[in-house]
Amino acid sequence: MGSPAAREMLEVKELRIHFPTEDGLVRAVDGLSFSVDRGQTLGIVGESGSGKSVTSLGILGLHQGTRAQVSGEIWLDGENVVRAPAGRVRQLRGSKVAMIFQDPLSSLHPYYTVGNQIIEAYRIHNHVSKKAARAHAIEMLDRVGIPQAATRVDDYPHQFSGGMRQRAMIAMALSCDPELLIADEPTTALDVTVQAQILDLISDLQDEFGSAVIIITHDLGVVAELADDVLVMYAGKAVEYGSADEVFQHPGHPYTWGLLASMPRLDRDRQERLDPIAGTPPSLIQLPAGCAFHPRCAYAALNGGRSEREVPALRETAPRHLTACHLPLWERRRIRAESVTPPADDPGLVPGEGAR
Amino acid sequence: MNRNKKLGLAALGMATAFGLAACGETGATGPAEPASSQYNAAIGGVVKPSDATGGTITFDNSSVPDSTDPGNTYYANQWNVIRLYGRSLVTYKSAPGSAGNQIVPDLATSLGQVSANGLTWTYHLKPNVKYEDGTTVTSKDVKYAVERSYAKDVLPNGPGYFSLLLEDPNYPGPYKDKSPGKLGLTSVDTPNSTTIVFHLQKPFADFDFVVALPQTIPVPPAKDKGANYQLHPVSTGPYKFQSYQLDKQFTLVKNPNWDAATDPNRKQLASRFVFNLNVNADTIDNNLIHGFADVDVAGTGVQAAARSEILSDPQLRNNADNALSGFLWFTYINSKVKPLDNVHCRRAIQYAADKTAYQTAYGGPIAGGQIASTVLTPNIVGYKKFDLYEATTQPHGDLAKARQELSTCGQPNGFSTTMAFRSDRPKEKATATAQQEALSRVGIRLTLQGYPSGKYFTNFAGVPNYVHQHDLGLAIGGWAPDWPDGYGMLYYVTAGPAIQEAGNTNISELDNPTVNGLFDKAVATKDASARNQIWSQIDRKVMEEAVILPGVYAKSLLYRSPDLTNVFVHNYYAMYNYSTLGMK
Amino acid sequence: MITFIVRRLIVTVFLLLVVSMITFAIFFLVPRLAGQTSFELASQYVGRNPSPAAVRAVEQKLGFDQPLVVQYGRFVKGIVVGAHYDAGPDRTYCPPPCFGYSFRNQQPVWPMLMSNVPVTASLAFGAAVLWLAGGISIGVLSALRRGTVFDRGAMGVALAGVSLPIFFTGLIALQLFSYKWPVFPDLHYVPFTENPIAWARNLVLPWTTLAFLYAALYARLTRAGMLETMNEDYIRTARAKGVPERTVIVKHGLRAALTPIVTIFGLDIGLLLGGAVLTEFTFSLHGLGLFTILAIQNSDLPEILGVVMLTAFFVVIANLIVDILYAVVDPRVRY
Repeated sequence: MGSPAAREMLEVKELRIHFPTEDGLVRAVDGLSFSVDRGQTLGIVGESGSGKSVTSLGILGLHQGTRAQVSGEIWLDGENVVRAPAGRVRQLRGSKVAMIFQDPLSSLHPYYTVGNQIIEAYRIHNHVSKKAARAHAIEMLDRVGIPQAATRVDDYPHQFSGGMRQRAMIAMALSCDPELLIADEPTTALDVTVQAQILDLISDLQDEFGSAVIIITHDLGVVAELADDVLVMYAGKAVEYGSADEVFQHPGHPYTWGLLASMPRLDRDRQERLDPIAGTPPSLIQLPAGCAFHPRCAYAALNGGRSEREVPALRETAPRHLTACHLPLWERRRIRAESVTPPADDPGLVPGEGAR
Repeated sequence: MNRNKKLGLAALGMATAFGLAACGETGATGPAEPASSQYNAAIGGVVKPSDATGGTITFDNSSVPDSTDPGNTYYANQWNVIRLYGRSLVTYKSAPGSAGNQIVPDLATSLGQVSANGLTWTYHLKPNVKYEDGTTVTSKDVKYAVERSYAKDVLPNGPGYFSLLLEDPNYPGPYKDKSPGKLGLTSVDTPNSTTIVFHLQKPFADFDFVVALPQTIPVPPAKDKGANYQLHPVSTGPYKFQSYQLDKQFTLVKNPNWDAATDPNRKQLASRFVFNLNVNADTIDNNLIHGFADVDVAGTGVQAAARSEILSDPQLRNNADNALSGFLWFTYINSKVKPLDNVHCRRAIQYAADKTAYQTAYGGPIAGGQIASTVLTPNIVGYKKFDLYEATTQPHGDLAKARQELSTCGQPNGFSTTMAFRSDRPKEKATATAQQEALSRVGIRLTLQGYPSGKYFTNFAGVPNYVHQHDLGLAIGGWAPDWPDGYGMLYYVTAGPAIQEAGNTNISELDNPTVNGLFDKAVATKDASARNQIWSQIDRKVMEEAVILPGVYAKSLLYRSPDLTNVFVHNYYAMYNYSTLGMK
Repeated sequence: MITFIVRRLIVTVFLLLVVSMITFAIFFLVPRLAGQTSFELASQYVGRNPSPAAVRAVEQKLGFDQPLVVQYGRFVKGIVVGAHYDAGPDRTYCPPPCFGYSFRNQQPVWPMLMSNVPVTASLAFGAAVLWLAGGISIGVLSALRRGTVFDRGAMGVALAGVSLPIFFTGLIALQLFSYKWPVFPDLHYVPFTENPIAWARNLVLPWTTLAFLYAALYARLTRAGMLETMNEDYIRTARAKGVPERTVIVKHGLRAALTPIVTIFGLDIGLLLGGAVLTEFTFSLHGLGLFTILAIQNSDLPEILGVVMLTAFFVVIANLIVDILYAVVDPRVRY
């Protein structure tokens, strides 16, 4: 699992991000802890509203100056971003940690050339001449696999195809050689064929630069491709956190089971209906008492009411594998063996390619 | 210089600036005004007589002159301005009070010498009167100027008296004149360079008034530019044109070739006259009060807002004059539209109308005017006061007498008719409403009908056919004379021959043989005092026929800048006389 | 792009032709349909108490007795080729574009129009500088400080600016700063070429009056645009790159928010060049707006036609420039 570093690249401890609104306090992230090492890839998974994007914005310190209440610690290469002054956090953005976004068409400024935007990213953190920056931008575009980079550098975002655009954004994010790259749904807006290319690219670049990567997605297939570790979030909390091998082969939380079961798979009969998780994600203002998942959990009744009263803590149930569930482990294993289709021998979902 | 001195000078400078600004506020820190500068002092007297020279006099105009060409203008204020750069054969005396109605010689040596049969009028020019370029004025130039008044296609605005009165009415104007020198008007002779003879079709005793019109201001034929002459008329007066930006501004400067010895009616005191055109009317009033302008050219008085400010401030009030403005505001009572063809029905209206309301509608005693009982206004030659229908004694009307007249004319319960007025004139609208109310007290029911003023005479009230078809028994109007005697005031309003098919100003359609006969007699009466007795006789007869309901002898509140010298209200122009002004 | 411009210019010519036809129809055809004779029309331009012969002379001189088509044809011909005018003793020639001669004073219309353009242009562009600077900066600040006292105060003042009519604010400005306290006394337009300082000094009050109205509008527009733009994804990206907030606001946010403002500015300037009527009237500035009012009051058709077509031309050209600018500002737009 990678060469040991003096300390981990990113360490998040008890992160809470709350938004006061007219309707009440939105607990977008409510006690989240995880870490990512150089050269490692963490996949954060969850439905919309689980708090994934809010977390990533928090890591970049983008909640500063807004109404968000941020507590806890975010240690980025030894610096606590939550406590750091705004100027310092801004310095870190783009240079130490960079982010790429879901929709490159709306995330790139339509009025400036791609080259201009890359040059801007580069020159904020490096005192170089425009000429040198431009050369660097061309080089980056070339690195991410954009053909004729020297001409394309003067094109506008709308002149690129979807996949090329995302590559350009990746080029921009990596232009300052950040040690942590956060990719928020990087392939969601792209064709399936292009998706694979982008994922390959991220993986290759990680090999080359040695950066830590966080991939945020709702797509387990993407996680399976790239992630070393997986963090499953639900209603602002981590419900399962462990190595990808563990999580995929021995998923320990009913929510994770539901996610895995609800994926469309090549080996299933086409006529078979998809198996979604019943119910809808909860309101982050009015969280259910006790375990946030219990209204949708098929097995909550087995707890004798405990799920409705007590919030389950994230506990280690195996080496490098934590889950937050009241059900005892053996109970869960039993349920899994009996009623949930085991994905272990499933060719469509074998963790390993690109993961370590 | 050292720092303290600099600071001291700066402080002094600032104090001066504030002081000057304060002086801009009227009279706050200035010396006490001399006794001659009182409210109404310029009516009948001269305010600040002085021969001091220098300075620039600023005139503000809320619109533009109809033309600066003396042959193409028909407004009293412009005729007043023209005297600064033009001299006609005769002119009005530049004196306050009734002396201003007097015609005195200007280019001519004396008033017209009339032949025995009254058809030939001869004038002799003063020798060596010069234009601004030093050339001498000749009688041919005067004839040419008169000829221009016939060229209605090029110069349509001026009065048409010459073509009406002289022997050669079909003269086509000098621009279509094929004769050499373009002097083909046969009714005017120039036997030598200082004599000019006019041949009339019929005797017209008031011809001196006609010759006083700007149309006899000489125009050298070589310098005539037709429609473009207005840009720089050649001056015979104390000032000449320096520049003219159309619709914006024109400037007059001293004419070195003007000779004061031959011209007692004008002065050459100020160095410059600046005329600002198209200035917002309220801005003009503010400019006057604050000293940014000296005269409001229009001479019709300040607007309502400034009026109250001026009247309530004793300092400002001293600079104001509430003068007669030359107009009579009245209502025509038609003599053909039934039942007004009966004089008693017309007299009922005279008794039932509310004269005070009429005055109020026009703005009250100061801004509107004096309640009128005659057609001639008090400043007109020949005016005699009389009051047939108790206008001044019972200004709210005498309903008992009105009802008596109604029974006599066979309409004891009143009748209905329509009253026309100009819809874009708020005062006329207010008058119409007020009289509708007043006449309804005796059962006379008025329907009010407004018309645009531009077409009032040409298409509606001034078209007898239209009047008959639409039952316009009453029509609001007003009149100011082209010259200050009974003819100018009465003829086109009350004479039978003056009735026209369109553009009619005898809207009452009075065609009374007595009245018509009196007019004929007057124009044949050479003796001025005898002639002037006749005007009042006509006035009285017209009032007996009750075809005119007099409203007010119009007055306006004029404001004179305290810096002006030789200021007086001229009786005929009915505003300050411009040809004698100077700057303190 | 070139073909686009050329096509637009051709359309402009047709548009101006149509505008001239409509104006001509309004002032000449409609009254005729309502029963007005050419004699009655001519009597408007004659002066007081005219004789019928005088009216007929004017009627002929001004060509009212001709069929309308002929009159219109002469007008168009004048614009293209020029026209001759019989001024009396000589014939004058007015070179193309000749918008005829004023009915009122027989002077050529085009030079009169041109002499008024600098006044209106001075007023319009000077005020534009003020309202753009003021309105946009206040709009940006308001958007960034949404909900604060500053924002509410600024938008309140903006509401006043938009709601108060110019003849009110202008008159108040005049009363206070020209008459009561002689900060700008005795206002008269001075051409820039004659004395730039006096030119500016005499225009400060009209500029601020006019700019107040428009600044209010632009502040609200900018605020709305900024609020929208600052929520866009690319703003988040810029921040994520570590761009300083001021640069984010101006280079990323404002730049994008300005696009609709460019459009509106073009239209506003185009219309304003046709004459800021109320401002010119209040301050007695002899520009195209005042010219228009007077021309209409006097029913002086050549003057009306001239100023209407000139205004239409300004509006059309302004629109064209705005469209071209759009392509410059927003690279996604291509013709």
